[in-house]
Amino acid sequence: MIKDKTYWLAAFVVLWGMWAGCTQQRQLCLTPKVASLVIESMHIISDTGTIFYDTVLPSAEFIPLTSVSSGQDTIVSPQASLFTISLSPKTDTCRWLFRADSTGIIPRDIIFDTLTFYYTRNLQFLSNACGYTYFYTLDTVITSHINIDSLHITNKSVTNDASAKHLQIYIHPDL
Amino acid sequence: MMPQQSIYRYIFILTFNGFMLLGSSCAYAQADTVATDTTSDHKVKKPDLAGHQLCIGVDYFHPIINSFLKNQYGYEIAADYYMKNEYYIAVEGGWGGSNVNYSDLQYNTTNSFLRFGFNRTLLVRDRPTDWDKMFIGLSLAGADIKRSPAYYIIEDSLWGNDTSRPVATAKAPPSFPAIWAELSGGVRVELVKGLCAGWTVRGKFMLNGKSFNSLSPLYIAGYGRGDKNTVFDCDMYISYAIRWKRKGLPLPDKTAPGAATKPDIAPGGGKDMKESPGR
Repeated sequence: MIKDKTYWLAAFVVLWGMWAGCTQQRQLCLTPKVASLVIESMHIISDTGTIFYDTVLPSAEFIPLTSVSSGQDTIVSPQASLFTISLSPKTDTCRWLFRADSTGIIPRDIIFDTLTFYYTRNLQFLSNACGYTYFYTLDTVITSHINIDSLHITNKSVTNDASAKHLQIYIHPDL
Repeated sequence: MMPQQSIYRYIFILTFNGFMLLGSSCAYAQADTVATDTTSDHKVKKPDLAGHQLCIGVDYFHPIINSFLKNQYGYEIAADYYMKNEYYIAVEGGWGGSNVNYSDLQYNTTNSFLRFGFNRTLLVRDRPTDWDKMFIGLSLAGADIKRSPAYYIIEDSLWGNDTSRPVATAKAPPSFPAIWAELSGGVRVELVKGLCAGWTVRGKFMLNGKSFNSLSPLYIAGYGRGDKNTVFDCDMYISYAIRWKRKGLPLPDKTAPGAATKPDIAPGGGKDMKESPGR
């Protein structure tokens, strides 16, 4: 008898779960909606010029140009070698300002470099819960050379895969 | 005070459980009969004394569910025809649609669908006029989905929203088919002469899901959520059975014990039934 009651209780719980699942108006979006571009900072050892290693920047700062959220969009990453930024879904190009150290201990670090991204937008349907987003294919990245020595695109496909790395920034050997 | 919607939910769940209980009880009665038959020393192939049956029903589960959901609807009609050896041909069809009206995504879809397959009862009938059944089935289904122009907005708090525009037709065609396979199981119980009720649980497996990944329909009538490749679903039917005798066979002898009414199962069940004169 107890067994029967347990069975019916379990059946009731399962049915209730099915009911609750069916009557939910919109499913939760559980996947990242914004495609992120991951930048890795690298350092060249000046005496050989052939050995590279990733380097932790003390307080790197990224500021988007032509963004809409004025003042709230500066990214400051203390003690990191990987940085995540986004590309503009409105146009096929966007520009970021970058400096390696926002604390200003070394005067040269106060000056920003400019990173200009050129890319192709690819419309991507995620799900009915998340709607559409853009994935991007990087074409070119142009930079000034105050702190940055050079750039290397390692992965042209910018998606919502947070584990992918797309761009290496080689910091000037003198720094 | 309990909201009206919650009261409807409770009533519905109680009704559903009631039908499940009813179906399970009848199936239980049949299960004893099967156990008795398998104790015989040798199998004798009996002629199929059951007549023909065409059963036509409507699903009332999805209309009830969808009455609580403003963005989708679906209706389903089912028919099955008894062939022989406890096999039924099942044909089911219906129509429905969905209306997606989110802040960042808007479109409508409509579709009709058709299922074709067969069902096999798991339990041996205890007399030719016993049409209660617990069954499993396999079927193939197809739907023709039509979609209105779809509009989207890509929201971005940093760079600003990408303004609404229709999805290019090449990326998300406005008309496309969906094909899926189904494994099903269920129960049908005759409530009064010819009037049956029951439920079917279905596992559905989309076979061409990749063909509309560019914009999966929110809801495909007959299937469920269009962005899932595997869906589990339930139908609840009320149906009416039309029966006629098989050619060359006499009508069931209604005067025979146990023919007009269901045989009583005595305490101790199967053994007593085996020795009853009606068997």
